[in-house]
Amino acid sequence: MKKVLFATVAAVALAGGAMVAAPARADDWSLEKAAVPFKGQQLNVIFLDRPGYRAIEKLLPDFEKRTGIKVNYEVVPYENTREKEVLNFNSQGELTIALVDLVWIGEFAENGWIQPISKFTSDPAITDPKLNLPGFFPLLLNAFGSWGGITYGLPFDNYSGLLFYNKCQLKDAGFDKPPATWDELKNVYAPKLTDKGKNHYGYALQSLRGETQSADSFMRMLWPFGGSLLDKNFKSNLASAQSQAGLKFRQELLPYMPPGIVSYDHAEAVNALAQGQVSMITEWSAFYGTLADPATSKITTCLAVAPEPKGPAGRLPALGGFSLAVASQAPEAAQKAAWLFIQWATSEDIARAYVEAGGVSGRSAIYQQPDIRAKYSFVDPMVASWQQGVPEFRPRFPAWPAISEVVAEWGSKMELGQVSTTEGAKEISTRMEAILDKEGYYSGKKQLLQ
Amino acid sequence: MAARKKSLAHSTWTPFWFLAPAVIALLGIGIYPTIFALITSLRRYNITRTRDGFPFVGLDNYVAVVNDGTFSAALLRTAGFFMTVMPIELVLGLLIALALNKPGWPVMRTIARVSLVVPLATTYAVVGLLGRLIFNRDFGVANAFLGWAGIAPLDWLGSPSGAFAAIATMDIWQWTPFCALIFLSGLSMVPPEIEEAARLETSRFFTVLRYVQLPYLLPGLTAMLILRSADILKLFDMVFTMTRGGPGTATELISIYIQRVGFRVFDMGTASAQAIILLVFTIILSRLYIKLLYREVEA
Repeated sequence: MKKVLFATVAAVALAGGAMVAAPARADDWSLEKAAVPFKGQQLNVIFLDRPGYRAIEKLLPDFEKRTGIKVNYEVVPYENTREKEVLNFNSQGELTIALVDLVWIGEFAENGWIQPISKFTSDPAITDPKLNLPGFFPLLLNAFGSWGGITYGLPFDNYSGLLFYNKCQLKDAGFDKPPATWDELKNVYAPKLTDKGKNHYGYALQSLRGETQSADSFMRMLWPFGGSLLDKNFKSNLASAQSQAGLKFRQELLPYMPPGIVSYDHAEAVNALAQGQVSMITEWSAFYGTLADPATSKITTCLAVAPEPKGPAGRLPALGGFSLAVASQAPEAAQKAAWLFIQWATSEDIARAYVEAGGVSGRSAIYQQPDIRAKYSFVDPMVASWQQGVPEFRPRFPAWPAISEVVAEWGSKMELGQVSTTEGAKEISTRMEAILDKEGYYSGKKQLLQ
Repeated sequence: MAARKKSLAHSTWTPFWFLAPAVIALLGIGIYPTIFALITSLRRYNITRTRDGFPFVGLDNYVAVVNDGTFSAALLRTAGFFMTVMPIELVLGLLIALALNKPGWPVMRTIARVSLVVPLATTYAVVGLLGRLIFNRDFGVANAFLGWAGIAPLDWLGSPSGAFAAIATMDIWQWTPFCALIFLSGLSMVPPEIEEAARLETSRFFTVLRYVQLPYLLPGLTAMLILRSADILKLFDMVFTMTRGGPGTATELISIYIQRVGFRVFDMGTASAQAIILLVFTIILSRLYIKLLYREVEA
């Protein structure tokens, strides 16, 4: 917790530094003027096929018109994004902007593939005086954009885990509010909402093998129960009573989930709620648009959103999201143009337009607007979640992709009942510690940063 | 003029010039990557740890692969997959080829031959996505068929055996036509006079198949086994889009595992060692097929 506090303070201190470094001629600065030397620059970036990216795509013509900078984006499935970026950085490719998932920030920063923002904030000509780093939710700036106390990226596509539920079905079952705790969800709500004969289930937890299993399913059940993947010495903590309680709880939830939950990705879980087959899911805030759209959802009038339930250790919901950072491989002029784009895409100025186009801004001010809070029911629970999340919900160090593979394999086997939670935890621990040992965390070669 | 004529005429270099483009292409796209993989397999080569360099580690990567239980389990699973799909594809392919080889219904036979190409022309990833829909528990076609037969819906993609059966079914759907077309080409090479003479001798279908048609099918069968062995060892897109190797490790074929090591962990050294071992397997299998099955048909 001390580390989290330190990192948060460091991020805010950096933000303060940036504010000091920003020019005192706020009235003179404009995006158009700052972009004049970079007119005609081409920026290359990878986007995902998700609402936040579709939102910025809608707003891009305005940026291009104002600056004369062209933004070329390639839409890539999430599962291939890191692969494409790593190969591009290794081959000194054409990417000028890095899209950084919070679990990639350690790897990208330690390899020098992305630039610290201090390189640009020290140049008043290209830094918006209204950059206002403290205007981002500190948790997001810290978790998505910072590594080792240095800020590299600005939060762009921001998620919190939320409880989406069908309030009509809950009402029919005699509940006038969502479950406040995981225990309540499993023992009170789920049994009443599950009717296997009618192919109806109380809850669904997306658990497809891959990052969905490791991040959305496995890790989600550790933190609220006081567990974690690693202890403070980076040894496995999966055998602890708290971690085991979380993993056993996940097994006990299975009877209230649709069969074959291990084949459910985000699309299947969201669709199950949207079609009325399940009553509750815990999903990323970004899926609100899909569930609220009558073209893709049958439950638009019954849709309601709440923070994820609390566990014995409190409310520690899933945290995920992406920042945008300047790629080190880009030529200097392109780097500066990229910095202008990143500031614009994450700015308070376009936060309203971004949210209204379907994005989820990382700026706190926009969510204080009464009309925004009234129009988007996910806002209040999401803001509440961002007050208390854990940045290391998934470790952000470079070893995570390898560990994620191990967790995905054995996490699936646990859910299938092929191994018990203790056996599975033992298998994961052995493999995970071997990976961390190879990385040099136990020999003192690497700092224990996650 | 005479000198010019001579330069255009056949010389000892002529075969070289004809072969040169193919050899150059092969060197560029086949030999060079193989040599690169061989060299990489002898190094610690992780492109997300470039600061550590790429030191020579001898056979360490090979030792790690041989001792890796997940690798051997994935290899066995792949062998099981091959043993499951290949016989079915061969039998169905042969039946289709024999049906199409019969005289009569020329238009229908032409349509059938053309339609056989459709699965072959479908991208692997699209086959996987189709499979994901077909075997969806709630709205998939597979369970709809079972429902018409009065059978309760199966949890295809959510259970280890169901998922394995699902990827096998999609592979059979895609590759049976290939077997059928190869067998059909073999059957079309059987001299009509020999087949007619045989039919005058015997009316037994299997006797004609065994002693007259089969010799013409063996070269195609050998080619099919070689191609499908290599293809199944590198079968990735369809399985990845359909199950990502899950649930658990039920559909984690060897290519899925190598992709994880190579492009998730980016341990190119180990992944290259795995690929080289597979290459050796493929060569051994190919030699075995040729030795055991391939027979030149004497006219």
